[in-house]
Amino acid sequence: MSALGLVGGLLQAVLVVGGAPLLLGMMRQVRARLEGRAGPGIAQPWRDLRKQLRKETITPRGTSEMFRVAPVLMVAMTLVVAVVVPFVGTASALPAVADLIVVVALLAHGSVAIALAGLDTGTAFGGMGASREVTILALVEPTALVAIFALSVRVGSTSLPEIVGSTLDDPARVVSPASLLAAVALAMVIIAETGRLPVDNPSTHLELTMVHEAMVLEYAGPRLALVELGTAMRLTVYLGLLANLFVPWGVATEPGVPALLVGAVAFAVKVGALGAALACAEVFLAKLRLFRVPELLAGSFLLAVLAVTAAYVLG
Amino acid sequence: MVHAIQLLNLAAGALLLTAVLVLWRRELPVIVRVFAVQGVALAALVAALAREEGSAELAAVAVGCLVLRGAVLPWLLRRALAGAGEVQRETRPVINVATSLLAAAALTLLALAVSRPLVDLAPTPASRAVPFAIAVVLIGFLVLVTRRHAVSQLVGFLLMDNGITAVGFLTTSGIGLVVEIGVALDVLLVVLVLQVLTGRMREAFGDTDLDELRELHD
Amino acid sequence: METLLVVAPFAVPALGALGYAAAGWRRATAGLAAVAAVLSLLAAALLAREVVVRGPLEAGPLLRADAVSAFMLIAIAAVAVLVALATPAHLATELAAGRIEPRTATRHVVLVQAFLAAMALAVLAADLGVLWVAVEGTTIVTAFLVGQRRTRAAVEAAWKYVVICSAGIALALLGIVVLNHASAHSGTGAGLDWAALAVAAPQLDPGVTRIAVVLLVVGFGAKAGLAPLHAWLPDAHSQAPAPVSALMSGVLLSVAFYAVLRVKVVSDAVLGPGFARALLLAAALASLVIAASLLIAQRDYKRMLAYSSIEHMGLLALGAAVGGPLATAAVLLHVLGHGLAKSVLFLGAGRVLQLTGTSRIADVRGLAAGQPVLAGSIGLGVLALIGLPPFSLFASELGIARAGFGSGTGWAVAAALLLVVVIGAALVNHTSRMVLGPRREGPGAAPAPQPLPRATAVALVAGLAACVALGLTTGPLTGLLAAAAEILTGAP
Repeated sequence: MSALGLVGGLLQAVLVVGGAPLLLGMMRQVRARLEGRAGPGIAQPWRDLRKQLRKETITPRGTSEMFRVAPVLMVAMTLVVAVVVPFVGTASALPAVADLIVVVALLAHGSVAIALAGLDTGTAFGGMGASREVTILALVEPTALVAIFALSVRVGSTSLPEIVGSTLDDPARVVSPASLLAAVALAMVIIAETGRLPVDNPSTHLELTMVHEAMVLEYAGPRLALVELGTAMRLTVYLGLLANLFVPWGVATEPGVPALLVGAVAFAVKVGALGAALACAEVFLAKLRLFRVPELLAGSFLLAVLAVTAAYVLG
Repeated sequence: MVHAIQLLNLAAGALLLTAVLVLWRRELPVIVRVFAVQGVALAALVAALAREEGSAELAAVAVGCLVLRGAVLPWLLRRALAGAGEVQRETRPVINVATSLLAAAALTLLALAVSRPLVDLAPTPASRAVPFAIAVVLIGFLVLVTRRHAVSQLVGFLLMDNGITAVGFLTTSGIGLVVEIGVALDVLLVVLVLQVLTGRMREAFGDTDLDELRELHD
Repeated sequence: METLLVVAPFAVPALGALGYAAAGWRRATAGLAAVAAVLSLLAAALLAREVVVRGPLEAGPLLRADAVSAFMLIAIAAVAVLVALATPAHLATELAAGRIEPRTATRHVVLVQAFLAAMALAVLAADLGVLWVAVEGTTIVTAFLVGQRRTRAAVEAAWKYVVICSAGIALALLGIVVLNHASAHSGTGAGLDWAALAVAAPQLDPGVTRIAVVLLVVGFGAKAGLAPLHAWLPDAHSQAPAPVSALMSGVLLSVAFYAVLRVKVVSDAVLGPGFARALLLAAALASLVIAASLLIAQRDYKRMLAYSSIEHMGLLALGAAVGGPLATAAVLLHVLGHGLAKSVLFLGAGRVLQLTGTSRIADVRGLAAGQPVLAGSIGLGVLALIGLPPFSLFASELGIARAGFGSGTGWAVAAALLLVVVIGAALVNHTSRMVLGPRREGPGAAPAPQPLPRATAVALVAGLAACVALGLTTGPLTGLLAAAAEILTGAP
């Protein structure tokens, strides 16, 4: 628990909580511009959150504690990850928790909490969304773990600060088959876990196509604000993870105001760039039919296995 | 300047990735295009070996590979596909796509196990990429056995051949010039023969879906 | 002089192909194939005599003729003579019936000569790589011969043939590449020359060689019709025109098996005899079981002959698995005997197809009444195939059985003999229904007694007579067989 880790962790938490809705807003703006619309502006998600916080809290009849607690759980787990993962500095506030497997598990817990809440509502949409989400999750978790394994082979450990540090020391290793394959596999994992196209459409409310939206259909008011904030934070954290695992330049290596500032700016720029790229890609992609999703995920699993093979054989 | 060994590793990875894409995609024109990319990757592999060893002969072979496997063979495949009519997608493979992708993962691990003695015999940076090439051979065999369209089976056979050529170059930089020319010629002739047979199949059966070939059985 | 002698068995059919390509098929050129085949047989016989006396002869770094090559060349040439005698009549009947055009006939004879040249190159190759190129060349050359009739069944057969054989042979290529890797790192400069590999065996890495041997046996075994990659054989051999089926069943399968024998020499030297024995025993028993199960209820007589070829290739694999000089000499004798008997049967079956227009067993009745020579040849040919004395297959199967019971593989040989009996019963059952009995009216009966063309009759009778002669004594071939067995069992 070093100074760099503590200060960096606090800075990251503020950045992620404050910047996540802005990231979402930017992605929607990029998409709107590409589609020829004017768009609502980058700060719209914050305006939506403010509106929802002022509304009355409604709890559907027949729901239990799970429904009430799930949004808080999701935001809490994502916040822990945001504090602990080395986004701004190479040291972590809690090095024992900054392990790739632990991070993936924490983020998965968030998804599972929302899925349980969807089941808890007892409605058809909630159950349907939950079952679809868990199917996708079950297929995606092995890929995430195997891709992480590929990354950890050459470093010898799954500790995130070590992986980021070793990539900083030897940047040329990113251009190797193992890294590239793992990057592609992880990108597909992120798309599946955060519910973006082509796996799930984040702005649809059609019964045929909803996955994430179906689970949170019964939320309203402050709880909905928490859910939306949590979703945006998850996207930010995942994109930041992808950026720092493969392109860690700009990360602060020693504590000091200029280094931390550079780290924060670099983090924002990288996540922003990845988000914009994702938004551009979404303009051209159509949502996959649900029974085609296992194909995509099996392909990403295969790529992850190939990444591990490459790491063992060539690395 | 990209280091020669790094280029070799990337080319080997591209070889395997294109094999996986052939297994993954359903549209036949896309499969042929991906196969052309694999030809380029194979030529890059041989070029990296030529650079590593400073051999002009290998460089010439790399150019030959590029011409044959990156240009001529895909062109022949496109011609075979040209008259295939509307049936340009592999709609019902013997095992569905998700299962074949998982089978490819298993085959990659098998290739890793099988090539252990090969790599241990001569642990050079080049021979460390042999498991990739053997995985390409096994994936090509899987495509050959599980696809129903004539052109897909042809691409599967050519994948096997690309993989075997890669193994040859990675292990001992070739198996004698005469034999290599003979092998390349044989492959070219097999493709020509199969292209003509595809045409005859279309005349006799109406399209090149091999499921129609059910006349001969016991 | 030495070079000329080694190259002649390959050059003569090659020149024949060029000659036919230039002159086309007509009455005047009809005899060219027979002349070329007889010349090849003479060249092979001369080569055999030289090799027995002086040891292996070389022609450049890529061609070598030793006793085994010479024996295989004699087998190829003998079957080529029979086929060349029967081809003119076959093609003339097809042309007259309008089933093929003169251009197809020309292409047929050119491709057959090229086919013979490729097979000769395969057995004369000193280098495993050249052997592979020649064997793949035979697949390419015969692809259009198999699909010659342009019917749906023929096109399907040609497709399966090329795809399965090329896939199998690609596995053999991988085996060659792996073996080359082992050889290059053994420090002996042996390359792919099989004789040098046998000598350099102690320095070859066993793990790598094991992988190579499995791939080579499976790959070349596919071309030889051994299970598991045998599915192309019944289709291809039943759809090809009769002279081509005779050549393919009679010698092409044996040439592919010759490659397996060469690989076995290297395998035994590096890994000990047990490894190749296990592989070949598995392939042999699987092939015999498949042949037996699919022959019992067989309905098409050409497919019946094709399955019988699978059975005999299984017997060859069994003999090779048993090993030792007696079994190996028996295997080689079986190659020659099976080649002669099978080609007689396919030529006869081709004639039956032309007479009756059907290849179903149930539709052919009472052949003996209308076509005595043809029916007699077919009947005696089947008796030869099932291993009755005095035909040579009896002697070779007896040799394999004796060696097998003496060398510890008795259980496999006993199982194989049981399967052979079952197959024999099935073959006799089907053939007797076709050949014996009164002549029948209606579909399937020969329309009017057409006399058997003289050349075809000579081919059928000569083939059977040679088979009998071989069964009584190996005569001038004894020395050749002994020398060949010595080379293949690795005795110094």
